[in-house]
Amino acid sequence: MATSMQQSRGAQPYRGGSGYVARSSSSGLYDVLELILDKGLVIDVFVRVSLIGIEILTIDARIVIASVDTYLRFAEAVNRLDLMATETQGLPELMEGITEGGASSKTKGALQGAKEALFGGDEDEEDEGDRERSTTRRRRSSSGSTTRRRRRTSSGGNSSGSRSGSRSGSRSKSRSGSRSKSRS
Amino acid sequence: MAKSDEDAAKYVYGVVRSRGGARLKQKGIDDKPVSVVSNKGLGALTSDVPDGSLEAGREELLTHSRVLEGALKRGVVLPMRFGVVMPGEEAVRDELLAAHREELETQLDEMDGKVEINIKGIYEEQGILREVLEENQEIAKLREFLQGKPDDATYYERIRLGELVAEALTAKRADDERLIVDGLLSHALSVEVGEPVHERMAANASFLVERERLDEFDQATEKLGAEHAGRIRFKYTGPLPPHSFVELAVGG
Repeated sequence: MATSMQQSRGAQPYRGGSGYVARSSSSGLYDVLELILDKGLVIDVFVRVSLIGIEILTIDARIVIASVDTYLRFAEAVNRLDLMATETQGLPELMEGITEGGASSKTKGALQGAKEALFGGDEDEEDEGDRERSTTRRRRSSSGSTTRRRRRTSSGGNSSGSRSGSRSGSRSKSRSGSRSKSRS
Repeated sequence: MAKSDEDAAKYVYGVVRSRGGARLKQKGIDDKPVSVVSNKGLGALTSDVPDGSLEAGREELLTHSRVLEGALKRGVVLPMRFGVVMPGEEAVRDELLAAHREELETQLDEMDGKVEINIKGIYEEQGILREVLEENQEIAKLREFLQGKPDDATYYERIRLGELVAEALTAKRADDERLIVDGLLSHALSVEVGEPVHERMAANASFLVERERLDEFDQATEKLGAEHAGRIRFKYTGPLPPHSFVELAVGG
């Protein structure tokens, strides 16, 4: 199984089965970033590497903005949505035939823009794995809510489920602890 | 070749079962060789950090991930979070392996034969916005009202429109996340549901899957992908070491 993993970065579409799912191995940095930085064993007694730009990058990546800017981008995306496929009657924008050709790409641009604001990348989405460390844009001091995770165990149940109670608490504790150390 | 130095600070990648101080072919961070520091059946994958500090960037993250990926091919591995450096071999042996022996052994047993698969569902913007418009009259009306009107005269209406769309997406996300998680959990042992990392993300979840059931899990993912074609695009990452399913008690 492991040998079928792909070496190339990013989500090289693996067209197995019905082909609706893009697959990549862990060499796609973007997709494992949050796991590597946020998950896994860590102990308190020593200092973590000083992460230049990296923590900021992940914190950035987790922001789901609810702001005027976001709303305006959504509005623009919806306003420019090409409804040709679903509506055939004479909507006003269909009269402005010239702009119509650019409409779909413009829509994409709007949401793409939102993503770029988040990730600072100008790459195509399939290329997310290449995001550089230089993405040190916005920073958010409190990430308390973003580390919140919900765990569920399938009906079979196992011992890992019982640990979940203490898990989230201790994790965020160790996180903030190690972070403050790494800054000093 | 840099020789592994007992006193050098050690970058730690993960914990494996080990009988001896093996040296792996794989290169670690800064091209330092990866070696196993072991203590009574437990081994830590490490490489030297001569200066005791690292500049951590993209290359280092990728290396961390690749070393673990290599270890996963050989057997069970408990991944460390990125960025763990210990003062020396003795510290790795005493403060990591010996001090946490019981927890580590339990989790090595638990994780044996299991891998993490991360699934992200990402909304197709055209498809999902169209769906929102079709399902929500208020949004459709407001959109119609705004057609052809100049931007600066409709600032607040546009904010309102965007807000409504964001709300509709949030509601959709909750439904879709549940569908995706429930749909796949029956083919896995456990799931960790993460926060969406951007506004078009429908779901971001890591599943703990038995290797023997990987094919079954893959098929279930493909099926979901087919069902949501045109509205949600799926990204499948793995098999990965079980990042989301390991933990050490704090202050041990």
